[in-house]
Amino acid sequence: MASHGVARTTGPRTEERRKQDLQKIDKYRALEDGIREEVSNKTYSPKTFQLTTKLLELNPEYYTIWNARRRCLTSGLLSRPSASSSRSRGLSSGSPTNTSSTSYADALSSSSAATTPLDPAPRTTGRSGTTADEAAEDKKYSNEKENLEKDVGFLKEELVWTARLLKGFPKCYWIWNYRLWLLGEATKRFPVPTSRRIWENELALVSQMLTKDNRNFHAWGYRRFVVGALEREELGGKSMAESEFEYTTKMIHWSLSNFSAWHNRSKLIPRLLGERGADDKKRQKFLDAELDLVREALNVGPEDQSLWYYHQFLILNLINDVKQATIVPNITVEQKSEYVQREIDDIKDFLEDYDDIKWIYEALLEYTLALAKLESREATTSEKEDLKTWLTKLRELDPMRKGRWDDVEKEYGLN
Amino acid sequence: MEALSESTWDVVICGTGLQQSMLALALSRSGKKILHVDPNKYYGGPDAALSLQELEGWAAAHSSSDEQQAGQAVFSNSRIIRNDGAGKTKKKLSFPRAYSLALSPQIIYTRSELLAQLVSSKAFSQVEFQAVGSFYIFRPASTAAAAAAEEEEEEGEEVGSEEGQQEQGQRQRQKPSLARIPSTREDVFSTTAIPSRSKRHLMKFLKFVIDYEAEEQSGTWKPNADEPLAEFLRSQFKLNEELIGYILALTLRLDAPNVSTREGLAVIRRHLTSMGMFGPGFAAVYPKWGGMGEIAQVACRAQAVGGGVYVLGTGVRGTKVPNAAKYEEVEVELSSDTVVKTRLLVQGAGDNMATDGQKMSRLVAIVSSPLDSLFETVVEGAPLPVVAVVAFTQGSVPSPEGSSFEQPILTTVHSSDTGECPAGQSVIYLSTLSCPGASEALDSALSSLLEATAEEGEGAECLFKVVYEQLVSSGTPIDEGRTFTFPPSPAAIAYEDDVLSQVRRAWEKAMGASTKDEEVEYMVFADREAIGDDDVGS
Repeated sequence: MASHGVARTTGPRTEERRKQDLQKIDKYRALEDGIREEVSNKTYSPKTFQLTTKLLELNPEYYTIWNARRRCLTSGLLSRPSASSSRSRGLSSGSPTNTSSTSYADALSSSSAATTPLDPAPRTTGRSGTTADEAAEDKKYSNEKENLEKDVGFLKEELVWTARLLKGFPKCYWIWNYRLWLLGEATKRFPVPTSRRIWENELALVSQMLTKDNRNFHAWGYRRFVVGALEREELGGKSMAESEFEYTTKMIHWSLSNFSAWHNRSKLIPRLLGERGADDKKRQKFLDAELDLVREALNVGPEDQSLWYYHQFLILNLINDVKQATIVPNITVEQKSEYVQREIDDIKDFLEDYDDIKWIYEALLEYTLALAKLESREATTSEKEDLKTWLTKLRELDPMRKGRWDDVEKEYGLN
Repeated sequence: MEALSESTWDVVICGTGLQQSMLALALSRSGKKILHVDPNKYYGGPDAALSLQELEGWAAAHSSSDEQQAGQAVFSNSRIIRNDGAGKTKKKLSFPRAYSLALSPQIIYTRSELLAQLVSSKAFSQVEFQAVGSFYIFRPASTAAAAAAEEEEEEGEEVGSEEGQQEQGQRQRQKPSLARIPSTREDVFSTTAIPSRSKRHLMKFLKFVIDYEAEEQSGTWKPNADEPLAEFLRSQFKLNEELIGYILALTLRLDAPNVSTREGLAVIRRHLTSMGMFGPGFAAVYPKWGGMGEIAQVACRAQAVGGGVYVLGTGVRGTKVPNAAKYEEVEVELSSDTVVKTRLLVQGAGDNMATDGQKMSRLVAIVSSPLDSLFETVVEGAPLPVVAVVAFTQGSVPSPEGSSFEQPILTTVHSSDTGECPAGQSVIYLSTLSCPGASEALDSALSSLLEATAEEGEGAECLFKVVYEQLVSSGTPIDEGRTFTFPPSPAAIAYEDDVLSQVRRAWEKAMGASTKDEEVEYMVFADREAIGDDDVGS
């Protein structure tokens, strides 16, 4: 399929091709030299800006040039945020879960250190403002408004341009970095409705990327960051747990085998239940529904590890003490037992039709041992028989983990 | 016309059906002298798409039901039934050229040799391919009630009991319905119409099919290779009758109940592995503006650009070999009274061919509704589908005598986005193998389909119908040395790649010894214009 029946020819470059390549190299070098010269003269003019556009379109990985571009923006292409502006707010670092986005957040709150506040317009003291003062105030206000509109337009153009670049280079960290910086600037400078809309567009972009590749965990991480921003008070946001939960449901139905979607789902549950004000009964119903969902999925995809992970997450959440994250906090040991026993029985059903999938045996082994522990007892004789059978199967299906199976055998007296 | 007789042609091709047109495409860079004629005034032959006006003429010409005459022509027994303006809503047809009805519509699986050849020959970009969406199976009202009863037993396994109750309510209304045939793991996961145990059986089969050609799997099916697929499914995979119905429907074969295991596994595998190949959510494509006829036109255009001579409205009346001893060329008498000489004559099934006469019955209907429910995207990012497939298994359509029709009926529904009808309407193509009661059964299936898709009790109206019979075969071409005759197409609504090997045989005959030449590749061409270098940067 790779070549559609067309034979691949990789002959040597023709003389013409070589000439063309040399021309391209010259053009690139000229651009680079041009920018370097301007930078060494500390000239961050619109001309420098144009040069960076051309060079970055050829090579977006050249991160120094991104820095040069940022300087162009902060040195004059964007207006200086005025000192009296109360719109100045950075996103404080906080809840984003992975370390890379924490550093983005740090970058956002401490960026634009280069900007210096405008000298405030001289205020006439004393008696009530004269007409001249009022006129000056009005002019300042309309200037600010003009500047703001200009900035919004400019930043939006930058977002459009980088989005286009991303189509060609979807994994280039530097482009994403620059986007985040732009978003940070927007949040600092613009009124809430405007910057909020920009963040919402960002969410749409992430959704588009996840549609193209729904297992891209970078995109999922970025999504969490964007959602986090939209939920912040500074952006007039409220919790998006429900809609994000719905999104994971959609993604799972689209493709069951999706570690990131299941993972995201698991992270949203505690907040979701909290927001719903779910009482014990509702919480139990929720757990039942989640177990049904993952069991239905396992029914058609028992070879899929991501599904077993989620199932395990639910069971462990039930029997261990996970404090805030507990789905059903007020539940007796007997009830927990019932749950685990039911799962063991249902998983045993799978063996009717799927007899060579190691995850099934592994789950049965783990859960049976966990059940015994939960009930503070040893495994019963019949349980031990089952465990021995499953261990034999596991040795056959997963011989690489012989050591582990040996340990289990020894620990639980199954030999 | 005299100029045509002046020199000897390398190949004279008669008919611009898909096979002959693909041959023309294959020869389009060969430099051979090609004369390509067609008795019709349009391109496409039996694969053409006709406007209503052209269809009237065509129907009149093929109306014969005379056994002898009908036995030899590709099309016979045609009849038009107009109904516009006479129905309850008084909806009328649009003007005749707003329609382009395909005589033999076929869908093309993405994993097909035809598409690969269109790509490598650079003809691909001239055809606009659109997505074929969902595959449905028809569920008569009574089956729907039985399924509801089965579901109640499995209630404990249902995801979200509210959903289950809603479904029950629907079923109890005793309306026929369409069920989407699950063909991916996610489909099987999402459907609420199959109990858990059955889902496992179905999944095992689907996984087996994808890999059935591997060594380890051959023991499972090779001993039963010539047995009917249905029996194989029953015994080896314990599929119940409903699931067997799904799988047989997926073969898209009019003779599904008799399909052998060997053939059946191949077509099912093609369906499963085609899913998602060119993008999410679809397994097959359909050319816009009338299907295969479009491909035929593009192929002929390529030949014309390559120097081929085209004459429409001209057919072949007869042939003779002038010098039996030399046997180097054959004389072809055209219907225009001109006699041309050629080294090879290639023709298609038609009036010159006696066949074993197996036929299929067709019904094409223009209906007054866009039938939107059939054209929804199911998967995020999938293109909007323009064709939906609906299968009626044997026994699901009532017969006039009160019993049921014992053959499968296959249907494709085309939305106006195909360009085959104006917005607000759709075209429904139904087909089954010819037998007594076939055309009544097709009519019955049409009504059932309209009932099943009716929204708020208002079924779509039928504005126009044309019925006819079409010769089919799974036969081999007739190779008589200097003449080569393609057989009629097989009775399938999905394009079968086997046909292409026949085209290749004809090509080898036409090219003669030069096919041994290493540089000569079949259906692999460069773009005609010089390719510019990718211009990077400013």
